[in-house]
Amino acid sequence: MIVWVEKDLCDGCRRCLKACPYGAIEIKEGKAEILDRCTACGACLEVCKAKAIFSDAEPKKIPDFSDHTGVWVFAEQRNGRLNRVCLELLGKARELGEALDQEVCAVLLGSRVSDLSQTLIRYGADKVYLVQHKALTHYRTIPYADAVEALVKIHKPNIFLLGASHLGRDLAPRISRRVGCGLTADCTELSIDPEEKILLQTRPAFGGNVMATIANRYSRPQMATVRPGVMVAVPTPDKKGAVVRHPFQITESRIGVKVLETVREKKTGSDLAEAKVIVAGGRGVGDAQGFQILRELADVMGGEVAGTRVAVEEGWIPPENQVGQTGKSVRPEIYIACGVSGAIQHRAGMMHSRYIIAVNKDPRAPIFQVADWGIVGDLHEIVPEMIRQLQASSG
Amino acid sequence: MDSIVLIKQVPDTTEVQLDPKTGNLIREGLKSIINPDDAHALEAALTLKDRFGGKVTALSMGPMQAIDVITEALGMGADAGVLLTDRAFAGADTWATSFTLARAIQQVGSWDLVFCGRQAIDGDTAQIGPQVADWLGIPQAAYVFAIESVNPKHITVKRRLEDGYERLQCRLPALITVIGEMNTPRFPRVDRLLAGCREKAPIRVFNAADIGVKTREVGLEGSLTHVIKTFAPKFKREGKILEGGKESVVRELIQRLKASEGATACRAFASACEL
Amino acid sequence: MIRSNPEHLIRDSMARFVDKEVIPQAQQIDASGEFPMELFRKVGEMGVFGIRYPRNKGGSGGNTTLYCIIHEELARGLMSLAAVSAMQCLMGTNFLFHFGTQEMHENFFLPAMKGEKIPCFCLTEPEAGSDLGAVTTLAQRTKDGFVINGMKTWVTNGPIADFYTVLCQTDPAKKLRGLNFFFVPRETPGVSVSQPFETLGTRTTRMSEVAFTNVHIPFEFMLGREGEGVSNLMSILSEIRAMTAALAIGLLRASMADAIQYAKERMAFGRPIGRYQLIQAKIANMATELEAARLLTYRATKMIDDKTPCLKEATMAKYFATEAACKAADEATRIFGAYGYSMEYTVQRYYRDSRFLLYGGGTHEVLQTNIARWAGL
Repeated sequence: MIVWVEKDLCDGCRRCLKACPYGAIEIKEGKAEILDRCTACGACLEVCKAKAIFSDAEPKKIPDFSDHTGVWVFAEQRNGRLNRVCLELLGKARELGEALDQEVCAVLLGSRVSDLSQTLIRYGADKVYLVQHKALTHYRTIPYADAVEALVKIHKPNIFLLGASHLGRDLAPRISRRVGCGLTADCTELSIDPEEKILLQTRPAFGGNVMATIANRYSRPQMATVRPGVMVAVPTPDKKGAVVRHPFQITESRIGVKVLETVREKKTGSDLAEAKVIVAGGRGVGDAQGFQILRELADVMGGEVAGTRVAVEEGWIPPENQVGQTGKSVRPEIYIACGVSGAIQHRAGMMHSRYIIAVNKDPRAPIFQVADWGIVGDLHEIVPEMIRQLQASSG
Repeated sequence: MDSIVLIKQVPDTTEVQLDPKTGNLIREGLKSIINPDDAHALEAALTLKDRFGGKVTALSMGPMQAIDVITEALGMGADAGVLLTDRAFAGADTWATSFTLARAIQQVGSWDLVFCGRQAIDGDTAQIGPQVADWLGIPQAAYVFAIESVNPKHITVKRRLEDGYERLQCRLPALITVIGEMNTPRFPRVDRLLAGCREKAPIRVFNAADIGVKTREVGLEGSLTHVIKTFAPKFKREGKILEGGKESVVRELIQRLKASEGATACRAFASACEL
Repeated sequence: MIRSNPEHLIRDSMARFVDKEVIPQAQQIDASGEFPMELFRKVGEMGVFGIRYPRNKGGSGGNTTLYCIIHEELARGLMSLAAVSAMQCLMGTNFLFHFGTQEMHENFFLPAMKGEKIPCFCLTEPEAGSDLGAVTTLAQRTKDGFVINGMKTWVTNGPIADFYTVLCQTDPAKKLRGLNFFFVPRETPGVSVSQPFETLGTRTTRMSEVAFTNVHIPFEFMLGREGEGVSNLMSILSEIRAMTAALAIGLLRASMADAIQYAKERMAFGRPIGRYQLIQAKIANMATELEAARLLTYRATKMIDDKTPCLKEATMAKYFATEAACKAADEATRIFGAYGYSMEYTVQRYYRDSRFLLYGGGTHEVLQTNIARWAGL
């Protein structure tokens, strides 16, 4: 796109010179001349009285994407095991596919992973694009991006979903850049706009304080990463589907990255500020032993243990785990207050938590006023029951 | 070892509120800071400079006020700063932002490493790093929490995975995205901050023409995705006391939790990651 | 030319330091009574101590306004840290900087800028405070230098200092014109330091008596031209008072912020106490006095930076800001009710620390006398 001056029309009035924000116009021999610095912003067109400046710019139009069809899901696997999120995405993809009357496809990369195709079909894929190559054994950004880019360019999907896992969020931006399509991160809600038939992608921003719905009208595929655990996997046991294999070539010199070692480890140390789940205890816990079961509950839920000032003063938990006005302020997704009365001093530190659960013997305890769900009862009975049921449900 | 660090100015808060009438963010009264992950990225680059020498350039795109994060970077020890500011850059999605940043990086001169934070607290997309790397055609290492070694050809890093970490050797030039676990950012020195406020401070300010892009390729116009609405999440305490026997109240509680938006936070329901 | 505003930038930067590093530990440091050496070093690493001095002479290239902004923020976190840092920047090093030899500059001034050496300022005597004419510590001229004899008290940092700037009388007959400042390294024979005092507030700031018994020092340890001690002191008096006012503003802000937060959270008779008018009145007074204190104080610092004489303005700022801070700390403890009486909460510390501000830079009784005189009485 360019901007140019018809010299015959230009009267050298210099208005454009003043209007140009980039210093990209000069007057030479009484006529305006556009320099290389021009960004085609159009400011000069508006001020030219002689109508001597022209641009070939056209208003941005939504292209015809009717040749893009299909709802794709990236089937993330590591060491031959699928990440659960891709089955959740297949569940959502089926729903979207039905709304659009388009097929659901999974993209499976790796080496010796063809067995997984059947699982993908049994969770809703009509078709599995399978690319197998030694270089794809362990995830590395560039070979994975190359392989997926090729598939997308050949088959032109309409929608492409990836899990917002570490891997998905490493890979998806690369693909989006290569293919030239927009990408929405970490969505928690997806739906099809009934009129425009486009994908509406809703995601939290500002740490979940704001929700934004985003559309991708100008490019295809409509690409999004989706937060694990939000969508629901739906088994379709009798479903049939096709496996389409694609060849792939790459050299190590192109990849530029070597995985030297992969180490599994449990994260150690507690960080209340980062914790998504906090199990907190107060006077009602009774003793340090009592905190042991809170710790167990926290472990099952993947969270941390905290306490009130009393719990710290009694030496049941270390001071750095105190929540409240004289301790830390926390805002986890789930805060479970066990044997905590809910004095203002404590509430000040936890009342911005997303969900608050209270377990207390005293039905009049103020903690119940700020709780989403309360259980009136002895935490020494309720908490072990929670552990038991949670363990049973996670199998 | 010369580095470029991408830093973003973000509102310093986790308590952002929406104007109930307009649905826009209320920005008044919010202090601005260097995005926390970006501060860790800057610290990583400065640590590398302390050990091996070289030059660190901080690069930011934003309104004119974003000059403050550039000055702060100089205060922490960066050698030079570049501010990309132009009304045409406003409203960019990650596609247009990464394009603009990549063009600016190419304009800055020679470098071996580009550092950036994993994600920004106002957007949480984590997309800019990999997209910039792709525009530049260089490899990336995301979620890095330790640098093991650097030589003129390679960098060896540890990067975080959901259940552990990976040791990765990466060819240079490369882009590294850094997570908070990596380090504790130093505080800026007041003498360096004051030097950064002076006219002759080593700061360059670029607009669209300076980096050779068309206004239609950047900002809102150059974006491929658009926000069509924003809203505050529903957030009301249910205040429900569950009643019944021990087993049934706990079952009901777990069902409610599972059905809630909080479910993803709980390991027992959500990230039973692999099958 | 797009550049940051230095005052906003420095304030924000210090505020972050205070919020992250100082406030979380302030209660515990105060309770321990230990000098917060680690925090003090961190402040030094940030180049704070050189804020009043030019960059080409080992300073940070700031001015009095920036100096006061920084110490207002530090005082919001922990008064005793702010007081010690303020001393390091001004009274402890000023005369050494202007009148010391190259050797002193390198061996004492520059390390003090990094926080590696701690200076202090010996002015007050058991019988002489604001009344400088009563100073009796004597520096007697000998053939190879001076011999100092006398006793100083309320010496901030006395027990931990590496060197002293001491106001001495060289010729009692000359009265004020006989007063001069001397540089005395701690290890000089004849210097002895008492046990630290037990104090009501700023509990981690070490204050003591320092006694000088036949302390021999060379001629070049006299700082400034002979006879100009008092005029040199007067040259920084406005700055001392403006700085004290800034410390008061920091304390006022801390009291007000904690009181507001508490008033929002604490419920009484079914609603937050902040919804009651008597609490609102207290907060309104604090907020208004804060603004007034700011205007007085930063007008004075701008005048100092412009080299306009402003002892009157700085004195009024110190007097007003400190009274406002004492009042705000008092009211904050009332808003907290019985919790204001608990050592676990912050407001008791603000209340105790506010008293420290009453004496530094002159008692209010003396200041009011001066102000009345300037007003034409």
